[in-house]
Amino acid sequence: MAIGMLQEKWPGKVNETVIGADKSRGGTRSNVVKTGGEASLPFLFHEGVFPHKPVIAFEIWDTAPADWPDELNKSLSGVYNDPLAWADKCINEYKAELLCVKLQGAHPDFGNRSADAEAKFISRLLKKVSVPLVITGCGDDAKDNQVIPACCEAAKGERCLFGDAVQDNYKTLAAAVSADGHSIIAESPIDINIAKQLNILISDMGLPVERIVMNPTIGAMGYGLEYAYSIMERARLAALSGDKMMASPFICFVGQETWKAKEARVSAVEFPSWGPETERGIIWEAMTAAALLQAGADILVMRHPKAVEKVRGYIDELMRGNTP
Amino acid sequence: MVEFKVTFFPDNKSVEVPDDTTILSAALSAGVSLNSACGGDGVCGRCRIILKKGRVVTQPNGRISAEERSRGVYLACSTSIHSDVEIEVPAESRLELESLSPQDVELRLKGKYAQAEEVDIPVPGLVDGIFSGVPLVEKISVALPQPTHQDRVSDLERLYRAVSRPGQASVPLLTGLSNIRRLGELLRAADWRVTVTVNWREGSREIVAIEPGNTENKNFGFAFDIGTTTISGQLVDLNNKKILGTKAVYNRQASFGSDVITRIIYAQQAEGLEKLHHAVIDTMNQIIHDLAVEHGVDLNDASGVTCAGNTVMIHLLLRIDPAYIRREPYVPTANTVPVIRASESGIKINPRGLLYCVPGVAGYVGGDVTAGVLSCGLDREKDVCVLVDIGTNGEIVAGNRDFLIAASASAGPAFEGSGVTCGMRSSKGAIQKVRLNRESPPVYETIGGCKPRGICGSGYIDSIAAMLKAGILDKAGRIKDGADERVREGQYGREYVLSYREEADADSDIVITESDIENIKRAKAAIHAAAHILLKHCDMDFKDVKKFFIAGGFGTCLDTDNAVILGLLPDIDREKFIFVGNSSLSGSRSVLLSEEAFRKSGEIAGKITYFELSVEPAYMDEYMAALFFPHTDLNRFRGAL
Repeated sequence: MAIGMLQEKWPGKVNETVIGADKSRGGTRSNVVKTGGEASLPFLFHEGVFPHKPVIAFEIWDTAPADWPDELNKSLSGVYNDPLAWADKCINEYKAELLCVKLQGAHPDFGNRSADAEAKFISRLLKKVSVPLVITGCGDDAKDNQVIPACCEAAKGERCLFGDAVQDNYKTLAAAVSADGHSIIAESPIDINIAKQLNILISDMGLPVERIVMNPTIGAMGYGLEYAYSIMERARLAALSGDKMMASPFICFVGQETWKAKEARVSAVEFPSWGPETERGIIWEAMTAAALLQAGADILVMRHPKAVEKVRGYIDELMRGNTP
Repeated sequence: MVEFKVTFFPDNKSVEVPDDTTILSAALSAGVSLNSACGGDGVCGRCRIILKKGRVVTQPNGRISAEERSRGVYLACSTSIHSDVEIEVPAESRLELESLSPQDVELRLKGKYAQAEEVDIPVPGLVDGIFSGVPLVEKISVALPQPTHQDRVSDLERLYRAVSRPGQASVPLLTGLSNIRRLGELLRAADWRVTVTVNWREGSREIVAIEPGNTENKNFGFAFDIGTTTISGQLVDLNNKKILGTKAVYNRQASFGSDVITRIIYAQQAEGLEKLHHAVIDTMNQIIHDLAVEHGVDLNDASGVTCAGNTVMIHLLLRIDPAYIRREPYVPTANTVPVIRASESGIKINPRGLLYCVPGVAGYVGGDVTAGVLSCGLDREKDVCVLVDIGTNGEIVAGNRDFLIAASASAGPAFEGSGVTCGMRSSKGAIQKVRLNRESPPVYETIGGCKPRGICGSGYIDSIAAMLKAGILDKAGRIKDGADERVREGQYGREYVLSYREEADADSDIVITESDIENIKRAKAAIHAAAHILLKHCDMDFKDVKKFFIAGGFGTCLDTDNAVILGLLPDIDREKFIFVGNSSLSGSRSVLLSEEAFRKSGEIAGKITYFELSVEPAYMDEYMAALFFPHTDLNRFRGAL
């Protein structure tokens, strides 16, 4: 007797979030990125729909990063001092369909650029590139509360994804994002309860939950990845079980975490048994990304072009079975 | 040794103390009671005093603002004396040891104000009359036949023969040697007419006193609830089972710390255990004395005292070191203490009278819970019911006539008004009901209807619920910037002004700060999570609960809707909530009045399964999820929003 395949059917699905507005949506982007919308666990296509493949955003900064390791600098340092050229390179050379701009230069310790200057920078960037943008603040709450609203206004109508709102600082960001038609990143400290609470708090401010993307906070491989993984998995299981407030897509800052890891940075001279650093960091970033894809990541923010290439190939391979 | 004179105003009490003594110690020596919730660690900021004259040295602690310092405000516990000094004690720093007003006591015992009428079950004597049998203390007047050559039974056996009751032949009678020594002469001097006081002990009866003549009509007893914060006592006429009077007094141990853990730690200090023991005994003796004087009762006619209290309180009452209750695996020295002579513990009734402690279950589930179960009749219910005692330790019992299971959650003293900026116990001047309307100033009601002095637990519940409803507070408990003209940045972060200094009987504005809200949030999360996990452990849910008994001293009234909005109580049919006020005292009285109830309390304690939450991994998860108003899982609170 044939044994039927036991299939999980989920009552819920992940919210679909659109990043970027093309002409038909009132913006000037050449493409839009749709993310989320899945009604199955990652890549288990027989369970339910998996409408959008996970997307990779290239991370760029508005100011030259001082402490990025040599392996990253090798491919990118030529454009560090010109963010517009950096963006251009990612799109033309590395085929980026989404950019993640970190406004590090606004940080009081790293240039302390004014909100006005950052808003002008965003306007110029939007003119220069046509892909959708993820825009994150410098991490200083007080400064971000000035800079992000100015940038929201500068990018009005372009449906960017702004971040990061945290439980102690979400009101200003949510209000600005809501007013100018953007979406928001809600960041929680590897804590499923705070993740959900923040979504509720932001929704209470009047921003539809479909315009929230969750940053669950991750660790690189070897640095608490499994902890982040299980939190994401629990959140996704809750979403698929019908919890609307847990049903936001995930954005994972893979590059930022990976390139902090000692294994990604140190040279082979120091640790001969670890092999050449030219490969190691790239593999570290790609492996971390691959694991997070299995946990349910929808947007991966990455740094190294070669790592992006590997992960893209991996995603394509995984998506091959997706025949709707 | 150099000694300095310290004078406290407005009491005008003076004391000589050695150089470098703290003001707090000097106040204790002078008999001036200062608030000291943290037990003198310099963290609670309750023992503020104003230095009028003299030289002191103070430890910086961040609890005194520059403005206060310029007015001469110091913390008594962190400030030492280095000259003759004069000190002013402001009203809010006083630990009031005087009795509550009779009106407050009555309301406190009922556990509520306005909603009393809505409940058709008599409160608090839920089970009065259910237990038959004799009181723990009986007085029996006898006229013995004189011995003759035909009846040469000894005096003692002659007495036993007279006080034996039909059906009690198998219950052994005991008599102490001192009574036997006087017996021969006494019987003959009293012409063989005496009154015998017979107390129940476990499985036997003891003749504790023999008096000449007939004093059968003078038989009294005291029932006590030994709370961490409040000690309540009742004088009962054991002949007609009438309550003659009730008094509630603050536990004098409060000056050694506001929660049981601080007190266990204090007990480890030199003479700490003795001080704590004397504090509780003194408090009880004060109640006994006051009640006896008011009702014209001779304490020689009171031969029985019952006590229900948490395990730590009972240890301290009996001067048993509670140290091991604090250490893993949290084992007390005794859950059930045998019946002892009341005078052995220091309680002043008839010197040969007995002390009965209601048996406890575990280190953090004490006789107060057993008494609560007894008085709510949880152990006789057909359907599953829950009893929640909201105190510094929140205790939860679930069950029915077939099973009982209990857990204890450390909630902190926030609901009792401790550890919160303007918190106070539910006594005169406490804001206990609050309504907010964005267009007008807050409307509040204080206990006693006087000017507000602070906020009690139910006042916090009302305020926070009202702030949530008015949009002043987000669900995480943060006050929204610019949400209201009463929102401002205070010394300890953002705060909401409930009452300005001008309208209050306090030294500063009465405020609710974000950290107060955080404390309340943690307390409610601990209690809610404990109840949830306990039921889940039994494969049940709140909706399976037929009656939800709520006991505790967080206020004299409780708005259940607001308690649900906070997520303290579950979102179930509000009709299921039954306030039982001080269920521990009710149970203690039932025990005093019925030997059967005392035996029953032992059975209940034996029947309660203790569920240790600290080793239950799901508890932490559930607690974290409950740290939100009303809860991260909003689906559980659909009716609250």
